[in-house]
Amino acid sequence: MKTEKAIYLELAGIAFAIVIALLCGFAVILATSAEPFTALSSLIVDPVSNLFNIGTILNKAVPLIFTGLSLAVVFQSGVFSMGAEGQLYAGGFLGALVAVNIHGLPAWIHFPLILVCAMAGGALFAGIAGWLKAYWNANEVVTTLMLNFVAILATSYFVNNVFKDPASGGYARMPYISPDLLLKKPIPGFPAHTGFVLALLAVVVVYLLLYKTKVGYELRLVGKNSRFADYGGIHTNRVIISSIMIGGALAGLAGIVEILGVHGTYKDNFSAGLGFDGIIIALLARNHPVGVLIAALFYAYIQVGAQTMQVGSDMPREVAVIIQVMLVLLVSSQAIFAFLKQKYATRQKAVK
Amino acid sequence: MTILLEMKDIHKVYPNGTAANRGVDLTVYEGEIHALVGENGAGKSTLMKILFGLEAPTSGTIEYKGKPVSFKGPKDAIEQGMGMVHQHFMLAPSLSVSENIVLGEEPKKGPLSMFRDRATERRGIVKLIETYGLKVDPDARVETIPVGQKQRVEILKVLYRGARLIILDEPTAVLTPQETDELFASIKALVGQGYTIIFITHKLREVMEISNRVTVIKAGKTIATLNTKETNPEQISRLMVGREVLFRVEKQPAEPKEPVLSIRDLHSVDDKGAPALRGISLDIRAGEVVGIAGVEGNGQTELVEAITGLRRATSGSIRYLDKELVGKSVANIRAMKIGHVPEDRQTTGASLTSTIAENLILDHYRNPEFKRGPFLNKKKIKQFAKVMMEIFDVRAQNEEVLAGSLSGGNLQKVVIARELSKNPKLLIASQPTRGVDIGAIEFIHREIIKRRDGGAAVLLVSAELSEVMALSDRIAVIYEGEIVAVLDNTPELTEENIGYYMLGLGKKHREKEGAAQ
Repeated sequence: MKTEKAIYLELAGIAFAIVIALLCGFAVILATSAEPFTALSSLIVDPVSNLFNIGTILNKAVPLIFTGLSLAVVFQSGVFSMGAEGQLYAGGFLGALVAVNIHGLPAWIHFPLILVCAMAGGALFAGIAGWLKAYWNANEVVTTLMLNFVAILATSYFVNNVFKDPASGGYARMPYISPDLLLKKPIPGFPAHTGFVLALLAVVVVYLLLYKTKVGYELRLVGKNSRFADYGGIHTNRVIISSIMIGGALAGLAGIVEILGVHGTYKDNFSAGLGFDGIIIALLARNHPVGVLIAALFYAYIQVGAQTMQVGSDMPREVAVIIQVMLVLLVSSQAIFAFLKQKYATRQKAVK
Repeated sequence: MTILLEMKDIHKVYPNGTAANRGVDLTVYEGEIHALVGENGAGKSTLMKILFGLEAPTSGTIEYKGKPVSFKGPKDAIEQGMGMVHQHFMLAPSLSVSENIVLGEEPKKGPLSMFRDRATERRGIVKLIETYGLKVDPDARVETIPVGQKQRVEILKVLYRGARLIILDEPTAVLTPQETDELFASIKALVGQGYTIIFITHKLREVMEISNRVTVIKAGKTIATLNTKETNPEQISRLMVGREVLFRVEKQPAEPKEPVLSIRDLHSVDDKGAPALRGISLDIRAGEVVGIAGVEGNGQTELVEAITGLRRATSGSIRYLDKELVGKSVANIRAMKIGHVPEDRQTTGASLTSTIAENLILDHYRNPEFKRGPFLNKKKIKQFAKVMMEIFDVRAQNEEVLAGSLSGGNLQKVVIARELSKNPKLLIASQPTRGVDIGAIEFIHREIIKRRDGGAAVLLVSAELSEVMALSDRIAVIYEGEIVAVLDNTPELTEENIGYYMLGLGKKHREKEGAAQ
């Protein structure tokens, strides 16, 4: 019962953060807009007012779910990796290379191969940071942030020079991927692609992995108390490396699903911060896979709302940035939770 | 007698809902030694934190020198003439004794009081040391002096700040018997000069020896305040736990058999790379408890870590049932039916943010029995945890409760349950009852003896000499990384005998270990 109460308090704290962040956004709208109520309704209602917008929310949520899961896994093992962005590029790049340059394979072999290569690319690239941390005690925050530049700039170089589609003109991109390898939009008039199904599948797999398997048990134990894990004979270094690599594989999937579902090819700088958004998602979700799903959908909803508001009113989309930043501030400040718990406990006493 | 301090009906409810104090009354007369006793978690420390302004009471009043007070922080309390000597010393190890004493209140001189007035400081410190007879070298760096002297520095620090009421929080926990005697002499001297002492402890022997009055706290409430002369340890213990407590562990004489663990000339280094074990040799036989006595920090930790694979031995050998342990991994060693209750259950022995069940399966989750296909068998784990909690009397709602929400005693029972659940042939118990309430201490002691009688070899390490003496069949005294004596635990053996070796004053030329083999 005690633990249940703690969960409710935690959820209440997160809800509180979300409400405050939204109110901040509303306040800015009310203060600056000439037509605040139109702006509000286009921010809140429009994203869910038609199938097209709902589909867009789902599509935007897909890569966020993957990067959110990626970071939830590494965070649970007590590693504060900031490297999902770089891993996403590394994985997406390798996957796209396989998609573009291998010909003649049947799609049912080729498609999984692409996903596997994207996962391998992300995992191997992440492995560098894992190895540096486990065996050289290098701080993962620093290494992953630096390695992001390595991945982004290296892939950028390759797609601008070596692997650039000659027919692309001024755009730095690879040749287009064969349409039968792309993620389909199964429902006519509904823009959501099947990547969402993959994302749901990933949520289930990560949930099972974390909470139902030996690997997940070890991973969470290392994150919660690595001395206890050491004492119990768990090879903490191996666990840390594998958790970072699992995170890398998920980030790689984020990249390739975005490519196969939205862009149709590898484009320079296609992510623009999906890996960093994943950090916010994982924080919001308290590193729980199901929470990641919800947080990613909410995050995508705000982003689509920002677009519909920009179109439907005089407010710019940057209001969404205000809401996001407030979320980060509030969610990462554990102080609210402590405050809430304090309130709760004193009220209980007063009732007695 | 005038009342110096009166705390009335103190309540304290923590934000997480824990009620640490539920109506505590404490009245302290001027010039007395007032013992405050209670099991761990009874609320003694919380009460003192409230008194000292470190925590705000939820309700209740405090009167000091006849006036109601409400301290915002330790600074207020210190200004009013209270001083606290914490259980864990609050000293800067790299500074000198005298610098530690004056820290924050250094005598100043020169324009704008820019410079330290070392001459005045020096005179003040020397006078302070002489006045109270608390002998310590003012120029020695604190990290170089023994624990007993560090404590004196703490007391001097408090006196320097003008305290008249001194709170000592479990002051004897880290002291040898000789050092304890010296501390008691100092306390008596202080009281002779008009100081008032609150003495927090859970050792009843000390209560009887030194206090004038004693207040017993149980489960956050004051149960009684008694004149020490009119009471006895049995009555106090009954009040503390609500029943009679066995102080002596009931056990039959040991029937030791073949050696289970044979350590030969073991060397190892501490975390800083300094030698910590300097040639340890020791045999532990099936069916006996060997206790390690020693002042903390003389290699006990390193010895246990070396046996369990957590620390690399630089040389020497550790034979366990014809297998060499040196060089083996922790996982390998744990798989060999070696149970290890580590000295710090909070950081090493348990994962506080994991559930009880997750803590219990540490040795079993790899076991095929606990698996179902690629997954862990949740049903089996639940069942296992329930059984363990039942057998080891772990009091919690269910097995999904977070380990961190358990009391010290219950958490330790979880650790013990896990380590005994593999039926160890060798049990290494490090500080098995530290910070655990009396009920749990009894339980843990019985379990250890039960395992011994079942043929397990037990290595017991404890800072509590009385515990070592109550449980052990043989006592090995460790001093600066060497076993300086191995003594048979006969009724004639006294704490003073052991303390002599603990302080490194002598070496007993003991029988050559291994000759028995």
